[in-house]
Amino acid sequence: MHHAHIDKFAYQDSPVHRLDARVKFIVMVIFMAFVISLPPNSVVILSLYAIGPFAVLVSGRIPLRFVFKQIIIVSPFILVLALSCPFYDRTPVSVSFGPLSWQITAGWLRCCNILAKFTVTMMCIIALVSTTRFTNLLEGLGKLGIPKILTAQLGLLYRYIFVVIDKAQHMLLSRRARSSNYLGFRNELKTASAMIGSLFIRSIDTAENISIAMQGRGFNQKWRSLSQMHTGWADYLFIVLSAIYILALELFAKPVLT
Amino acid sequence: MHMANELLSVPVAGATLTIAGGALAFITRRARKIIDADKLALMGILGAFVFAAQMVNFRLPAMPGTSGHLVGSVLLSIVLGPTLGAIVISSVIIIQCLIFQDGGLLALGCNIINMGIIPCYAGYYIFKTIKAESWQNTRTYVAVIIACVVSLEIGAALVPIEAAMSGVLLVPMSTFLVTMLGVHAIAGTIEGIVTAAVLGYLLQVRPDIIGDSLHGKIRLSKPAVIASLSIFTVITAAGLSLLASGMPDGLEWSYAERPDQSDFETTIANESTVIPKVDAFQEKFSLMPDYTVRSSKLGQTAQLEYEPAAAWTSMAGLIGAFLTMGFIWLFAQIIRKRSNSKPNPDTIAA
Amino acid sequence: MTSAIEIKDYSYAYADGTAALKDISLIIEHGQKVVLIGPNGAGKSTLLLAMAGFVKGTGKIFVDGIEVNKKNNKKIRGLIGCCVENPEDQLFMPTIYEDVAFGPLNLRLEKDEVKARTRQALETVGLWSLADKPPHHLSAGQKRAAAIATILSMKPGIITLDEPTSSLDPTCRNKILRIIRELPQTIIVATCDMNFAAEFAEHAVLIDNGQKTAEGEPQKIMAEEQLMTSHGLEVPWKYRKSI
Repeated sequence: MHHAHIDKFAYQDSPVHRLDARVKFIVMVIFMAFVISLPPNSVVILSLYAIGPFAVLVSGRIPLRFVFKQIIIVSPFILVLALSCPFYDRTPVSVSFGPLSWQITAGWLRCCNILAKFTVTMMCIIALVSTTRFTNLLEGLGKLGIPKILTAQLGLLYRYIFVVIDKAQHMLLSRRARSSNYLGFRNELKTASAMIGSLFIRSIDTAENISIAMQGRGFNQKWRSLSQMHTGWADYLFIVLSAIYILALELFAKPVLT
Repeated sequence: MHMANELLSVPVAGATLTIAGGALAFITRRARKIIDADKLALMGILGAFVFAAQMVNFRLPAMPGTSGHLVGSVLLSIVLGPTLGAIVISSVIIIQCLIFQDGGLLALGCNIINMGIIPCYAGYYIFKTIKAESWQNTRTYVAVIIACVVSLEIGAALVPIEAAMSGVLLVPMSTFLVTMLGVHAIAGTIEGIVTAAVLGYLLQVRPDIIGDSLHGKIRLSKPAVIASLSIFTVITAAGLSLLASGMPDGLEWSYAERPDQSDFETTIANESTVIPKVDAFQEKFSLMPDYTVRSSKLGQTAQLEYEPAAAWTSMAGLIGAFLTMGFIWLFAQIIRKRSNSKPNPDTIAA
Repeated sequence: MTSAIEIKDYSYAYADGTAALKDISLIIEHGQKVVLIGPNGAGKSTLLLAMAGFVKGTGKIFVDGIEVNKKNNKKIRGLIGCCVENPEDQLFMPTIYEDVAFGPLNLRLEKDEVKARTRQALETVGLWSLADKPPHHLSAGQKRAAAIATILSMKPGIITLDEPTSSLDPTCRNKILRIIRELPQTIIVATCDMNFAAEFAEHAVLIDNGQKTAEGEPQKIMAEEQLMTSHGLEVPWKYRKSI
C-alpha cells in the first residue's frame, strides 16, 4: 500500500545519499542545535539557516512538494502553541524591512520565529531521513554506541510497521464496509477494542512465526550484522563544508541579523 | 503529545536527551539477559502493533467530528512488563521521529521520558498497586483506567515544565499546564477505557497472553524502582535548576516581558553575573542591540528604534537567502536534465 | 547410509489436547523432492516444524541420522533449513541483503564467505539487483523468492517449504517452481496446490487428520480421483484424463 513509501526517497541515489550515515546524523544534530539556540526574536536569519538543509534536499533530489506536505502534516501542535504567543505578548514593536515599516506585536514576532525554526529543523530532519536509508542510519547509530538490542528492536519495528499497518487497514476497510451509521459510543468502543485486540493476537502469532524463522537460521541471542560503513573523502568534504557554513552563519550573519 | 524542537532550549534538550539515553541504556542492559528470539520478535512486532493500533480510531461521544485512538503504553507494560514495554514504546517514539518526522530529533529525549519511560513504569506500578487478584474483579479494570489517566497526566505535565524551563513560549506555565492536564484527563480516560476493553477482549479470546506467561522475567524490585525514580527526580531537578540559572535565553525573556517592573532586571543581575556579560557581548556584536523593549521607560509604550541600515540588512539577508535557494534549485535541475539524458546503470551498494 | 529424514511413530498434541499428528512414520532419501499434500489443518506444517525441532512430540525423528532433540537443536538447524509459510515472517530484517546474510552470520562464517554466500543465494533466485531493498518494497513473488534465498545462503542439505505458492499468480508460481526444482538439495514442500505438487514432486505423501494416509509416486496417488476428493483435494491437470 501507499503508506509504505513514506521513506522511498531514501532509496534514490545521489552524492548526499552516498554520504556516511553517521556523518550526516551528527552534522544535522549539531546544525539543529544551532538553529534552536537562535534568540527568540530572530526571524530573517532563519532564512539563511534554511539554505543548508535546502541544498541537501535539492541535491538529494527530494521533491520540495513532498517536504512541505510532510511539514504541514506534523505542524498542528506547534501551530497552536506558536499562535498562542500573540495573545500573551502584545507589546507593540515596529518592524522595518527595507523601505517598509509597520507595527506588530512582539508576540507575532515570536510566533514567526517559532514557525520558522520549526520549518528549518523539519527540513533538516527530512533531509536526513530521506537521503539516508533507515538501515544505514541504524547501523550508524549502532556504531555511535546505541545498544544492539535497541537497534535490533528498531530494525524489527521498522520492518513490521508496514506489515501490521496493512493488516489494520484491511480491518478498517472491512469495518467501513459494514458500518453505515453511528450506533453509539458503547458500540463504537466495542468494535474498536475487538479490532485492536484481534490485531494484538495476530501480532503475537506473527511474532511466534518470526521467532521460528530466526531460530531456524541459527539465531542465538546475539544480533549479528554485516557492516558496510565507510567514510570517504566526500564525507570529510561534507563535514568541512558544513562546519564552514555553520561557523559563517554564527560569526558573520548572526551578529548582523539578530 | 509530541514535544517539538522549537519549544526547547539547547540545555534542556541536552539534559533530557542525556537522561533518556541513560535510562534506556540502563533498561536495555538489564533486558539483555532475558532477551531471546521469542522476546525480540515479540517486541518488534508489538511496536509495529502500537503504530497500527493508533490507526484504529473511534468516534467520541459529545464531541462530533473528533476521534480518539490508543497510545498503548499501559497496555504494553501490563502485557510485557514495564521494562520491555518501555523499550518498545521508546523505539516507537524514535521511529515516529525518524521516519514520520513526528516530534523533533532534539526533543527526542523529552518525548521518550514523557511518553515512553514514565507512562510505562508509572502506569504499571499504579496498576499493580490498585488491581484486584483476579481479572474478573471490576477493580482490576478500574485500576487499568486510573493507571492510564495518571501516567498520561504525569507525562503531559512534563511538557509545559520542559517548555517553561526552556523559556521559548510566552504562554504562562500555569495556563499551559492546566490546558495540557485538561486535554490529557479526557485522553487518558478514553485510553483507559479502550485499554480495559482490549484487555477484556484478550482475556476472552486468548487468556494465556494476559496470564503472566509473556512477562519478561526481570522485574525491578519495588524499592529499586522507588530509589531509582527518586534519584532520577533529584538529579533532574538539580540539574535543570542549575541549567536554568545559567540560561540567559530563558531568563532574559522572562524579564524582558515585564517592562513594568523596573527593578526586576537589577534583582536578576545581582544574582547572576552571567546575564550582564551576555548582554555586553550581544551589544558589542549586534547591529540591533536589544530588539526588545528593555530601553523603554516605565509606563511608556515600548517602541523599538531601528536603524535604517539594519532594516536594509535584514531585507538583503532574506532576499539573498531565497535567491541562493532558487539558484541551488535551478542548478540541480540543470544537472539532473543532463544526467537524465545519459542512461544510468543500476548500481548496487551492497 | 542414513536417510535425509527418518520419522518413527511420531505423535504430537496441542496444549489443549487436540491431536495434531498421530503415529507418523516416514522416510525421505537424500536428494528427493517430496510433497506433503493434504487439506488445510491436516498437520502438514506441524510435521515440517517437528522435523526442525520446533515442536516437541512423542516418537523419534532423525535428520541425517541425528536425533531431533533439544540438545541437538543447533546441529539440526544447520542441516535443515525451514521456511515458514508467510514470507513476511521469514523476512524480518530491514533489507533483503541483510536478511539473506543473517543465517550465514549466525553460522559464524568469515565475512567474505558470508558475502559470497549471500550473493550466490540471491543470484540463484534472481534477486541480486534488488538486494538492498527493504522487503516492503518487493512484490509477493519476489518476497517468496527472497524467503527461499534466506535458506539457501545457509547451504543446508534439506530444505522444508510451507505452502510456497500460496497467494501467488501463475507466473510467480512457475518462477518459484523453476527455482526449487533446480536445487540439488532434498526438498520437502507442504502444499495443497495440486498442480504445483504434480509439477514438482518425485514422491508424494498424503496427510489428513494428522495421519499419513497414502504415500508413493505422485502419478499414482494424485491421479486417483476417489482418494483426492475424499481428502478435500483434487486431481491436478497433469493427471486428468482428457475428455
